[in-house]
Amino acid sequence: MTYPIELRNVSYYYSPGTPLQVAALKNINLKIGEGELAGIIGHTGSGKSTLISHFNGLLRPVEGSVIIDGEDLAKDKETLRAARFKVGLCFQYPEAQLFEETVARDIAFGPKNMKLSDEEINERVKKAAEFVGLKPELLEKSPFDLSGGEKRRAAIAGVMAMEPKVLVLDEPAAGLDPGGKNEILSMISEYKKRTGCTVVLVSHSMEDIASVADRVIVMNAGTIAMDGTVDEVFSHSAELRSMGLNVPEITRIFIRLRELGYDVPADVYSVEKGAQILREMIRRRSV
Amino acid sequence: MREKLIELKNVTYTYEADEEGAPGYTAVRDVSLDIYKGEFVAVLGHNGSGKSTMAKTMNAIFEPTQGTVTVNGIVADSEEKGNEIRRIVGMVFQNPDNQIVATVVEDDVAFGPENLGVEPSEIRRRVDDALKTVGMYELREREPHKLSGGQKQRVAIAGVLAMQTQGIILDEPTAMLDPTGREEVLKTIIRLNKEMGITVVLITHFMDEAVHADRVVVMDGGTVIAEGTPQEIFSQEEFLKAHSLDIPQTAQLCRRLGFEECILTPDECVEKLTSVLGGAAQ
Repeated sequence: MTYPIELRNVSYYYSPGTPLQVAALKNINLKIGEGELAGIIGHTGSGKSTLISHFNGLLRPVEGSVIIDGEDLAKDKETLRAARFKVGLCFQYPEAQLFEETVARDIAFGPKNMKLSDEEINERVKKAAEFVGLKPELLEKSPFDLSGGEKRRAAIAGVMAMEPKVLVLDEPAAGLDPGGKNEILSMISEYKKRTGCTVVLVSHSMEDIASVADRVIVMNAGTIAMDGTVDEVFSHSAELRSMGLNVPEITRIFIRLRELGYDVPADVYSVEKGAQILREMIRRRSV
Repeated sequence: MREKLIELKNVTYTYEADEEGAPGYTAVRDVSLDIYKGEFVAVLGHNGSGKSTMAKTMNAIFEPTQGTVTVNGIVADSEEKGNEIRRIVGMVFQNPDNQIVATVVEDDVAFGPENLGVEPSEIRRRVDDALKTVGMYELREREPHKLSGGQKQRVAIAGVLAMQTQGIILDEPTAMLDPTGREEVLKTIIRLNKEMGITVVLITHFMDEAVHADRVVVMDGGTVIAEGTPQEIFSQEEFLKAHSLDIPQTAQLCRRLGFEECILTPDECVEKLTSVLGGAAQ
């Protein structure tokens, strides 16, 4: 069985062999399957960014192996190069990396590096821009004339245009207003639905992860502290809080009600589900 | 009578077209807004609504294109008065890495008062007090770049406190922080306001931060489109959503349960639920 992403006993140290050596990843074993939408969550410094930098070989493990689409990245240069295109990484505040004269050329940068034909590149740029909701007339503008939200979309489109098998997004909604944030998140779900690609979403926000992911991987101190469905992970909210993570307000309300002796589940994280349960309790009470 | 700290009267701010051909545009249009001494005001608005530009007129980083800005009675109409105003109202920005200048925490905090020509012994006292207030005194000899985002922002806040300003404007100070960092910074802001009486203007995208304010101002298209208590503002879910904003999850839940009052925090919600549901005996 091959997985788009597989890490076997991966450890990574910063400043290895010096007194300043810091273990950023400790013996990580992780498989992310075809078509999964996995969320990675953890506080600053928990190892999230170091972890995703291994997915396309930007960082090489000090110990262990990274196997992308069945191929060990340590095999040879070609395998490593292929991984850069198979796994598209979109870092935090990606708009800071826009640099071309026009939006279209910026989106085309990745596909160009893949040595595709001009025709194919144009096609992909159009498709990616349309997907992220950038109007065609914006394509010939300078990326610096776009609004904050548009710049973010252009940067994400640049990674999507490479049509990677795995799309990895680090905090794609950071700094956006609630409306912009919801748009980006539903765009990500839609992308997964439409392309069937594997998507990895890295975030500080439990609310964001809960709203789109099938699976949640919790990083803490360089290790995978939890790995399960959204429901499973949220039922351990006390542990999540001890790891510096925040559970959604709704979950906090249900945990408190449980502490007070009410018979309610602890894994409630959406307003709809919470309202449904409470409405039923209130109804029973008034009968 | 309440005293005004910041007074915006018909303020318009227009960015001029630049040489590279980017067109000019008006980011703030005819805004009149008073901020009172000791008040905690949250400013909401979608990306590009004019919040940050307005904030920059409030401490005279930008001089308004039209209208007047008065801070503690001083009209912001010259460079000198701008300097005076910035001693009354300080500002903290979004990116913690862009506002740290020194290589040691306490030197960074001392930077402002040193520039004001404050006596060294007085600087020492102010720096220590400011660092204690934000809970960073123990880390005063650390290198700022080795701190977490939340710690860096608290150092930036201490830098403003050491100038002994009456007010502080924070432009999305928690946008780049993780939940723990956000909580540290928010608690610090609330403490400055409630315990030290410092006037706070907090620009934020997080609705759960705005619920702690005395007053919420909503901006769109460069104008103030609503203002009121958090209860008044967050009882208007459809209106806020139409402007790319939202209401806190707790308020959404309480609304769906048909509660008439606007409940904004999980604690208040639990209290209400226990009264509706009666005892926990099942």
